[in-house]
Amino acid sequence: MSHLLSIENLGTCFDTDDGVVQSVRQVSLTLDAGETLALVGESGCGKSVTALSVMRLIPMPPGRFTSGRILFSGRNLLELTEAEMQRVRGNQIGMIFQEPMTSLNPIFTVGDQIMEVVLRHENISQQQARARALEMLKRVAIPSPEARLDQYPHELSGGMKQRVMTAMAIACQPQLLIADEPTTALDVTVQAQILDLLDKLRQDTRMSILLITHNLGIVAQYADRVAVMYSGKIVEEGPVTSIFESPQHPYTQGLLNSLPKEDPRAKLETIPGMVPHPARLPRGCAFHPRCPEAHPPCRETVPGWFTPSPEDPEHRVACWLYDPSRTQPVSS
Amino acid sequence: MTALLEIQSLKKYFPVHSGVFQKVVAQVRAVDDVSFSIKKGEILGLVGESGCGKTTLGRMTLRLIEPTGGKVLFEGQDILQFDKKAMNLIRPRMQIIFQDPYSSLNPRFTVKQILGESMLVHGQATRQDLTEKVEALMTRVGLSPEYQNRYPHEFSGGQRQRVGIARALALNPHYIVCDEPVSALDVSIQAQIINLLMELQADLNLTLLFISHDLNVVKHLSNRTAVMYLGRVVELAPTLKLNEHAAHPYTRALLAARPNLDPRQRKRNAPLPGEVPSPMNPPSGCHFHPRCPEAMGHCRTETPKMVALDEDHFVHCHLYT
Repeated sequence: MSHLLSIENLGTCFDTDDGVVQSVRQVSLTLDAGETLALVGESGCGKSVTALSVMRLIPMPPGRFTSGRILFSGRNLLELTEAEMQRVRGNQIGMIFQEPMTSLNPIFTVGDQIMEVVLRHENISQQQARARALEMLKRVAIPSPEARLDQYPHELSGGMKQRVMTAMAIACQPQLLIADEPTTALDVTVQAQILDLLDKLRQDTRMSILLITHNLGIVAQYADRVAVMYSGKIVEEGPVTSIFESPQHPYTQGLLNSLPKEDPRAKLETIPGMVPHPARLPRGCAFHPRCPEAHPPCRETVPGWFTPSPEDPEHRVACWLYDPSRTQPVSS
Repeated sequence: MTALLEIQSLKKYFPVHSGVFQKVVAQVRAVDDVSFSIKKGEILGLVGESGCGKTTLGRMTLRLIEPTGGKVLFEGQDILQFDKKAMNLIRPRMQIIFQDPYSSLNPRFTVKQILGESMLVHGQATRQDLTEKVEALMTRVGLSPEYQNRYPHEFSGGQRQRVGIARALALNPHYIVCDEPVSALDVSIQAQIINLLMELQADLNLTLLFISHDLNVVKHLSNRTAVMYLGRVVELAPTLKLNEHAAHPYTRALLAARPNLDPRQRKRNAPLPGEVPSPMNPPSGCHFHPRCPEAMGHCRTETPKMVALDEDHFVHCHLYT
């Protein structure tokens, strides 16, 4: 079966005054129809750049693709012209951003903004577009949707703005929805509402979701599969239960262990040190200076992929600890 | 143990101006009649969603925001009666750590200047022993003293928060308001800062008001927890009791809304409908009634009084009257 989205060996870098920042390094991911893949990692790890690369929304220059392909329904998005890409964006791939406050246009009504998406991609009349906008507002469960059509973003609460963004993103029934930290700016009680809504839309329409978040609780609750990123690379990937029940990469283990546990007031486990500067990555595995298990090959060579458990072939980890020939140093 | 800080019926109403003459057309009751006390050496967690008044409340306890009414008793004295001079004398004993280590440090000052300024102003260091004191302080919060001549932008978020903590500790305070000190930090760094705060609190017997929207963090480090909703404290109890026997429907909803880390136990159906209403026009009676799954007739009309469920568990809810 071919995947809806298949990112192969993607590299995205930025030319900065500090030198070349390789934000995304050899990232490969797949996403099937109706599936939710969570991309997790801390700020600056490259998860948003990966998403923006799929949308081809990386400013160029200073950004550039250095390698790889992004196959969406079999077409390589990196080879499309801008005009072709515009027919994909908002139509086949929708995107929700972190800040609904800044992602909506303050001088147009909510109805106009949703209608614009539909009119851009479909050959329908103003009336039909307005009807569609209303239908979308109903689908995202906004209270009194008719009245909202003619309201401006500043008249809406944060949660409602995020619902409007979602309505815009799904107005053309995209096959893929990229949600970049969709609830980070929202309160916890509203966060649960929005995530439940996205999950319901996925089930109803078999839309796929690429969910980008740093919140591991959200990942556990909503993802089918998880990819963990560190310093531009995916370090571990697998089904959500495998990642939470038997994390293999020392970084994934560190992240899960550093969360507050049942035992209050105990000292939390930490990952020593901090994320390296993206323009000055260490040799070998980028995590090795912070890794409690680092050994000589980690300092020299970037690890390839290993499958720690034969019973769980989809769970893979980029770490020398799982190299079957670990007794001898491996060279690339 | 005696109360280090006690607030009584504390209120802050912000006027809302409108029209050509900037007439006051309404009041935002950011904090509406809140009372509690914090014992010496205690960590009191204050949780609530954005706009509930927790930051305003925290700042009023330091008199960084002037209350509209009520009392703030710090070590037994009502600091709202203090004049400027008396206030300046007491300020070294009360400090604050801010959420955003990016905007709360002066970008033109080196770490040494940031940490040294208040010590010089309050006479707790001299030009001669300043370097020594700054170095001791930096070591205390886990920063290498050789970074003392660096500027805030040269540090990572976690290190900057350490500078913010060192700044708060510089004058040997008794009481520190921690206003979302780890919310802007990544998970792995958050754990480092939480450990540091707990260690300092224990070593220096500090009293902390720990403001956060993250119930897991508050549960981890606070002795007691107060929950705020639209300017009012709705429940206050020892942290474990609050987590295990939450009485107020809002507290229960907040606890239920935390995403569970076990992927095999999935919950759908968000615990609460709707959103927090505007504090400019809060609902009548109990502010929570429009979202409350257990609202009764008189919840719409009467503000619930405080009910003591037992000696240390207080709730404002008609279910218990």
